This record gives sequence, C-alpha cells and structure tokens, in this order.
Amino acid sequence: MTVEWAHPGLLLIFGAWLLPLVKGRTKRAAMLLLPAAAMADCLLMKPGTYGATSLLGQDLVFGRVDQLSLVFSYVFSIMAFIGMVYALHVEDDSQHVAALTYVGAALGVTFAGDFLSLYIFWELMAISSALLVFRRREPSAVAAGFRYLLVHIFGGLVLLAGILLHWSQTGSLAFGDMRASAGGVAWALILVAFVLNAAVPPLGAWLPDAYPEATVTGAVFMTAFTTKSAVYVLIRAYAGTELLVWLGAVMAIYGVVYAVLENDARRLLAYHIISQVGYMVCGVGIGTALATNGAAAHAFAHILYKALLFMGAGAVLETTGLRKLSEMGGLYKTMPVTLGLYMIGALAISAAPLFSGFVSKSMVVSAAGESHRPAIFLMLTLASAGTFLHTGLKLPYYMFFGKDSGTRGKEPPKNMLAAMALAAAACILIGVFPGLLYRLLPNPVHFVPYTLQHVTSTLGMLGFTALGFFLLLKHLDPAPTISLDTDWFYRRGASALMAAARGPLSHLESDFVGEVYEFVIRRPVLGVANLMRQLDGLVVDSTFVGLGRSTQDLSQVLKTVASGNTQHYGLIMATGILAVMILAIFGK
Amino acid sequence: MSFLQKLLEDPVRFGRLKRWSYAGLGAVALAEIVLPRIFPSGESYFSFEDFPAWGSLYGFGSCVAIIVVSKLIGKLWLIRPEDYYDR
Repeated sequence: MTVEWAHPGLLLIFGAWLLPLVKGRTKRAAMLLLPAAAMADCLLMKPGTYGATSLLGQDLVFGRVDQLSLVFSYVFSIMAFIGMVYALHVEDDSQHVAALTYVGAALGVTFAGDFLSLYIFWELMAISSALLVFRRREPSAVAAGFRYLLVHIFGGLVLLAGILLHWSQTGSLAFGDMRASAGGVAWALILVAFVLNAAVPPLGAWLPDAYPEATVTGAVFMTAFTTKSAVYVLIRAYAGTELLVWLGAVMAIYGVVYAVLENDARRLLAYHIISQVGYMVCGVGIGTALATNGAAAHAFAHILYKALLFMGAGAVLETTGLRKLSEMGGLYKTMPVTLGLYMIGALAISAAPLFSGFVSKSMVVSAAGESHRPAIFLMLTLASAGTFLHTGLKLPYYMFFGKDSGTRGKEPPKNMLAAMALAAAACILIGVFPGLLYRLLPNPVHFVPYTLQHVTSTLGMLGFTALGFFLLLKHLDPAPTISLDTDWFYRRGASALMAAARGPLSHLESDFVGEVYEFVIRRPVLGVANLMRQLDGLVVDSTFVGLGRSTQDLSQVLKTVASGNTQHYGLIMATGILAVMILAIFGK
Repeated sequence: MSFLQKLLEDPVRFGRLKRWSYAGLGAVALAEIVLPRIFPSGESYFSFEDFPAWGSLYGFGSCVAIIVVSKLIGKLWLIRPEDYYDR
C-alpha cells in the first residue's frame, strides 16, 4: 500500500476497534470522526490505481479509483456518517464495530480491482452485517440472522466457484467487464452471486426476512450497502446484459405487490428496497450511458432516502415498540417532526419534483424510453405509482394517522432526529440542484429532469395515485398476516424435508430397505454362520474333545500304574525279576 | 392542539382541505391536457405519452391495478397467519 493512498475501507475496519477502548464523549467523537475521515479520504482521492500488490503470482489491486467507484464511495461514506449520528445514543460497542466494518467492507468492494480482494470484502460484508441482525437478540432476530448468513454464505460460495472457474479459464483475476466470457458457466455463477446480493427475485427473499429483524440502528446501515454494492459490481461487470433489463423491471413490480400485503412497517420498506433496486438493475441491463448513469444516480439518491425512511420507522419502533401497521395509528399528534422528516423521504422515493428521486429515477425510465422499450417503460412507471402508494400514502397513513391506536410515542432522541434531518436535507438538495449529483456520475450527463412535460405528468400520476388510494382505502386496512416469499423454500421447505425424513423416509428405511437387508444380507449371513457353527461343533470341537477324552482315558490307565508309592514300584520290580528268573530256569 | 390536528379533526377545515385537494387534482389534470398543446415539447418517447392527461390516467389505473391484483394474489395464494413459520 502506497503512502499517498490510504484505503478508506481499511481505515474504518481497523479504526472501529478503537471504539471499545474509549468511553463517553471521546467514544462519540470517534464514532463521528471515523466516517468523516473516510469521507474526506474519498473526497480527496484522485482517479488512478493504488494499493497494487502481488500475492502468489497474482496481481491484487485494492484501489481502483475512477469516476464509478468514486461516486459509490462518496455516498457510502456519507451514509456511514449519517448512520453513526443515528446510532450515537446506542450503548453497544459490538453494533458500532460491526456497522463500521460493514461499511469498510462495502468500500473495499467498491475499490477492489481484482476478484480475490473483492471476494474477501464481499464475505466480510455478509458476516459483519449478520451481526447487526443478531444484536437485536430476540429469538426471531437470531433465527433470521442465521437464515441471512446461510443465504449469503451460499452466495459467497457461488461467487468463489465462479471466480475460480474464471481464473482457470482466463488466467487472470482482474475484475472488470465480463462481456468477453458472456454465456459461460463462470459468467453465470458470478452473475448469480451478484444478483443474489442485489436481492433480485427469486434470490431476494433474504432481504425482507432479515432487515426488519435487525436492530433499529443496524437496519439503517443494512439498507444502504449490500444491495447497492451489488449494483456497483453489476454496473462494473454486467452492463448491457439483456436478462437484467427484465429481471429489474419484474423486480420493481414484485416489491410493490408484496408491499400491498405487508403489515410490518420495516418489512414494507424492505420490499420497496427490492422495488427500487429493480430500477437500478434494469438500468444496468439497458447499459447505455444514460442508463448506467441512472443506475448510479438512483443508487446514490436511494441510499439517502431509504435510510431516511428506515430511520423514521425505526424511530417509531424505538419509542413505541410497535412494528405492525395494524397496531399503530394516530402518532402524528406526538411525533410531528418524525412525520415531517419521514414524508421528505417518502416524497423523494416517490420521485416527486424537487426531491432526489425525481432527478435519478427518471434517468432510468428515460433510458428505457430512449432505447425503445415500451413494456419496460410502462412497468417502471407503474411501479413508480406503487411506490408512492405504499411509502408515501399507506405507510404514513396507517402509522401516523388512520385509526387512533391510543399509543402515544414521543419524538426520538435528538441525534436520531439530527441524522434524519441530514438525510432529508440531502434528498432536497439533490432534488433542487441535480447538477451536484450529475457531475459525480461515471458518464457525461446531458439529461434535463425539469421539463414541463415531465413535471406535469409526474404530478398527475402522483395526484391520481393518491385519489385511487383514498377511494380504495377500506380495502387496504392492514391485517395481522404474513405473506409467503421464496424464503418458504428454506423455512417451510426445510421443515417439510425434515418431516419427510421422519415420516416417509424412515418408513422406507425400516419397511423396505430394512426388509431387503433382512432377506438379502442378514438372513443368508446368519444361515451361513449357523452352518459354520454346526460344522465347528461337529467336526472341529468333537475332534478336540475326542483327543482330550482319549488322553484322559490313557492317563486314567497310567494313573493306576504311576502311583508314586515306592513299595508298589519295588513289588513290580521284584515281580519282574521273579519273572526273569522263572524264564531263565524253565525257559531251556 | 397543533395546526395539523386542527386541520384533520375540525370537520369544517377537513371539508375545506378535501375540496382544495380535489381542485388541485383537477388543476393538475387540466395542466397535463392543456400545457402540452400550448408548449409542445416533442420529448415523448412513445405515442401513448401524448394521450391527454396520460400521467393522471396511468397513475390512477396503476394504483387501482396494483391494489386489486396484489390483494387477489394475496387472498388466493400468499397470505398466511402470522404464526405460520412458528408452527
């Protein structure tokens, strides 16, 4: 690592370990200074290649700094700062260390110029973010954390397999445009790993499963980094992949459909992350200069407004303990500041004029128009209406207005409001001065968001979506239910597998496999063994028994002779001598 | 009592809010129909975008379609009781 370049990711990852060592005011200062230092580091960076090392004959590049990695690094470090302000009151060092490590790993992915360092930071991101789920410490959070970790470890293994295959085929670990190997197995494996992290259905159910279970402050970090770093690597490697156009457009609508059915406030917002990332994935797929600019700009704007929305829902959860829409209502009386800041985020995500979404989302939609894709254009516009319907109308209506639940929350701690105000200011700043964002984008921008037609048709669309909402309001009342998603396969599917193992499979084992074993193996083996036993008894045993018996009989006979009595021996000797003498006298 | 609370709980003021909202909707739709005739921009990508009040109509249609279709899919297929995964 060269002296003139310090890795902002490593700065956060190692700097995070200072936090447990200091206390009180120093700790809070450190919590703000670390992301601020990373932000300054990113802002001062000049395009180029830094931190190149060689490991086992492979060139590793920790610092590929160009326009694309810079724009993501800016928003990542800004978000780290806002997130830390929001978490300033939390007395749990492990959460802060995990959050900073998570941001650092995301920055590591952003600046990685080779697959190996990309992979290391990719895995670090999964592990550190899982900690933000575990730290809520409820049984449901721990279970969701394990599911989250398992899905991401699966994704990491797919990525590793793809990288190794790619390496063996091309002999290079350099991470860049994958167009040259399009259609190959390595290309597909790496794409699967990337879209899994971008939460593209059917691989995206981990997101609405885990994010609502994370800690109040942890969830704010989680909304920003995993999916958006996936968008970054997709732009880098898979721009112009036709499949992504359709996956993205379907994804944008999929998130909206699930949001209709959702009752958990933060899970509803999580489904809208999927919907919004759909625009980015679609932009990556279209792949034109305008479209990739749109994907990057939308990622930038999205991180800020989505964090703001999660901070708003988190504030309600923090002060009332409520997470279900069916239990909330009437909070506007006691939480007007939270409501106001939340609504800025809601207008930004809904792409209302003068808010950030208006200048970023329309780039992707216009790119669909410019590349003559009417179906994609209509799908994205429809999802846009759905976004306003849920985050701009349904959620605030049932959370802050609606039927008064009698719950009286209070405004959250000042640092939480300050973080929300920072994010809200950024949403408005980008919306009013889009040039600030446009000059950071990877390609030159010729796009003009504020045209008469764009403004009037957007206002018409938002206004009449609101009309539709209030007309159909009674059908939208949240109910205490959940809706199935593809996580069913590893939640219920796995228990179905276990039930099958306990039921039919064990029957199969005992009734069929067991019987077959009985007749084919056990019985013949026992039969042969029996035969051998009898043979043993009849031949071998009786031989030895007979031998023994005859020896015994012989010794019985000998016993009478060998009495051990000297007189008997003398008598026998005398009898012998007598017999010899008789033979000598009468033998002649 | 805050401004917002008065606005929502006083039936007179709430009625006024409602009327202003409807007037706003009408104005937006009218602007969408009339303004492109006065200042033709030619920036539409597709011919359907030039249909009078396209944004308003498509927004309303999308909203209704999303609610109806999602509720239908939910009822027929996806909705389960809350303790579904704990049983």
